[in-house]
Amino acid sequence: MSETAALPEFKPAEFKPADYKTDLKPVWCAGCGDFGVLTGLYRALTELQVKPWETVVVSGIGCSSRLPGYVDTFGVNSLHGRALPLAAGVKVARPDLKVIAVGGDGDGLAIGGNHFMHAARRNLDVTYLIMDNEIYGLTKGQAAPTTPAGDKTKSTHYGNPEPSVDPCELAISFGATWVGRAFSGDLKGTVELMVKALSHKGFAFLNVMSPCVTWRGDDQFKTLKAKQRQLPENHDASSRAAALVYTREPEFVTTGVLYDVSEPTLLDRLATVKVNALAGKPQSTVADIIRSFQPSF
Amino acid sequence: MPKRELTIAMVGAGGDGIVTMGDVLSQAAARDGLNVLKTEAYGPQIRGGESSCVVRLSGDPIYESGDGADVLVVFNWADFSRFKGECTPAKNAVVLSDDADPVARTPEDLGLDADAVWIKLPFGKLSTDSGAKGSKNLVGLGVLTALFGLPVDTLRRAVVSRFGRKKAAVGEGALKAFEAGFLLGQTLPPMPERRLGFTPGPAKLIMSGNEATAIGALHAGCRYFAGYPITPSTEILMFLDEWLPKMGGTLVQTEDELSAIGAVLGASFAGEKAMTATSGPGLSLMTEMLGLASMAELPCVIVNVQRGGPSTGLPTKSEQSDLFQAIYGGHGDMPRVVLACSDVEDSFHTTVDAFNIAEEYQIPVIVLSDQLVAGRRETFDPASLVHEVKERRLPSAEELTDYRRYRETSDGVSPMARPGVQGGIYQTNGLEHDEEGSPGSGFHLHEKMNAKRYRKLRPIRDAYTFHRRYGPEDADLGIVCWGSSKGVVREAVRRANDRGEKVAAFVPQMIYPFPKKEFEAFQKSVKRLLVVELSYAAQFYRYLRTFLDLPEERTHVYKRSGGKNLTVAEVDAEIVALLAADRVPEKVSA
Repeated sequence: MSETAALPEFKPAEFKPADYKTDLKPVWCAGCGDFGVLTGLYRALTELQVKPWETVVVSGIGCSSRLPGYVDTFGVNSLHGRALPLAAGVKVARPDLKVIAVGGDGDGLAIGGNHFMHAARRNLDVTYLIMDNEIYGLTKGQAAPTTPAGDKTKSTHYGNPEPSVDPCELAISFGATWVGRAFSGDLKGTVELMVKALSHKGFAFLNVMSPCVTWRGDDQFKTLKAKQRQLPENHDASSRAAALVYTREPEFVTTGVLYDVSEPTLLDRLATVKVNALAGKPQSTVADIIRSFQPSF
Repeated sequence: MPKRELTIAMVGAGGDGIVTMGDVLSQAAARDGLNVLKTEAYGPQIRGGESSCVVRLSGDPIYESGDGADVLVVFNWADFSRFKGECTPAKNAVVLSDDADPVARTPEDLGLDADAVWIKLPFGKLSTDSGAKGSKNLVGLGVLTALFGLPVDTLRRAVVSRFGRKKAAVGEGALKAFEAGFLLGQTLPPMPERRLGFTPGPAKLIMSGNEATAIGALHAGCRYFAGYPITPSTEILMFLDEWLPKMGGTLVQTEDELSAIGAVLGASFAGEKAMTATSGPGLSLMTEMLGLASMAELPCVIVNVQRGGPSTGLPTKSEQSDLFQAIYGGHGDMPRVVLACSDVEDSFHTTVDAFNIAEEYQIPVIVLSDQLVAGRRETFDPASLVHEVKERRLPSAEELTDYRRYRETSDGVSPMARPGVQGGIYQTNGLEHDEEGSPGSGFHLHEKMNAKRYRKLRPIRDAYTFHRRYGPEDADLGIVCWGSSKGVVREAVRRANDRGEKVAAFVPQMIYPFPKKEFEAFQKSVKRLLVVELSYAAQFYRYLRTFLDLPEERTHVYKRSGGKNLTVAEVDAEIVALLAADRVPEKVSA
């Protein structure tokens, strides 16, 4: 494909947080935890000096999935639950691009749960951020897979009859090679974890606890803040068993890098497929294929 | 006087090598420049089991599998009953069966008349005696070659090429079985009037519709495929899995069809030509994201190889009943383009056109194939695989200084920036959006952007109004059909014309938007109209009725369920009946 587009201007090599910001004003409620995630992302991208035009942010549907509209990189606000398939398509087709998938807990764990499992299993070279508010916000307050059992919501008037999941536990068991938990009220910690997630080679999953002041009440922020604790200094992030200790903790929100291992990524393996397919020979052409359908004995 | 064409049907149990027999015969015939059309049918077993194969050979063009086989080879009568629908012998057929088969059949069972010839032969014994045990199929091929004048040297080379590729000794053994059959055939009473007469020509290509589709995609520049296995489309996935990596492309087998179409849209957003292939139930899942493709104006190609439905239906049999789903399936007002491929060679060209339209107009394109076209193998001239390839409109340097992804244009097509291009940054959306891609939910914006997206259909229709027309200009009867029905209808029209009857056919290849102007001209040129389709609910007829006036007094519908391929005989019977009397058209029940 020919690139008819010449570069119109050359931006200075140094990007500031404002360079990652669009003119669009977020639709989020005042006090929404997602503001912290967005600010954190601007800072993390700045810290890594990521080129905006070489970055794609992909989301599904939900309050948090509005995020790509606020980040001045290439972006897709796709369909409910489908951020990861889109992100996979972008990254596999264009390994040169930095791809970040974002969304909410309902988007990623309910309707998109199957994609989450397989993106992690494939070790897809994408950073995946879930903004976890334990509720469906956009549809105004129904229970999510992360809503604790017994909680009263707009769809569980008499108490949530279902137990909740821990997204980090799922990510670890699905095969993600980097798993972290952050709290959007802790901006510094969130930025640090985002920088690490964005620097990881392979599928990096960061679950950011991001309070919903509207449907979980003002208390959610305070409760999360009170529950937050850092991983111990001596935590062995290379151990799956050690990482799983810090999942399903009703009393705590343990933040930090739970799990971090190095495994061949999907792109690594696809590159191997190409090498195996070529077996040292030059690339095939359509003419070669057509010829193979013409009997020549 | 030798025959111009020959149809050979073969039936056998698992291990009889029916599929191989059909392959070797077709390859040899294609090698010598004969036209070949081969269909196969299998029992329900996952592996092995009974199978049947029909190979039609001719020096003239062939459009379909033929009404009845001139030759029926049966290694196992017990399995024959399963394939009655696929392997019907002509009344005067030559039947070759194994003399060791304990199951008895009579000529009456098979509907044979006094001209038929039935020869019982020791296929199994000869195979064992030749030293190549289990090669009944090659003995059979040898007999066929001798009896019907098939090119013996080419068949010998085809046998050696097929079996001797890895071990020369295996090839020699196979050849012995073939020669044993050939010798036996030479001792049988000759049937000169049943032999195939032809002049060898340059080798033709022989492939399946699914393979032609996949090659069309590669030719069009598709270097990304994501898909989920589903019969009868899986061959496309498997074929591209083998070839895409050799061409610098990538294939990902996704966790479901939702993910497949999602990945295709992601790849398309990233600037690559991308495709997925599926069948009815898979298209249902993909329809959710068809809406996103339409709204975000993401080029993509979805090949839907139809099978009998609804639900799991008849997964290995053909039907034309995904038409409504392809044209209308989805939420909201969702422009898309629907093309149909009507034979194997056409599958190549239709797929290239699908990419050309998708890329040029930034719109999802559905290619409707079906099990009959996708699964059968046909020959054609290698030189016919030429087709111009078009590219997506990228923004110019000037357009990048004030880039708006969904800029208003006269044809509705806005330049689409590739990620990585500075100045081309935009955020796209499944939400209604303005020219920049920013979400908005006002009526005026929605109306304006709907108009922009729908505006693309007219230039597509004008630029690509491809359809086929057969028969005289002023026909008493005009047949309209689509997709795989073309072959049978074309043959029926040819026969009617040979009888001196004025019958014509119109076959649209773009189904949506429909070549209305061309069809109306056809409709005006004929006295009566016959719609032919394999859909119990007459989806094609009903679709035409949505925008065409088809007066009941001069419109007839021939439709039925899939599960058995359309035959020339049934279309011919309709033609004869309609021309014979002022027949009152049958009402299609609501």
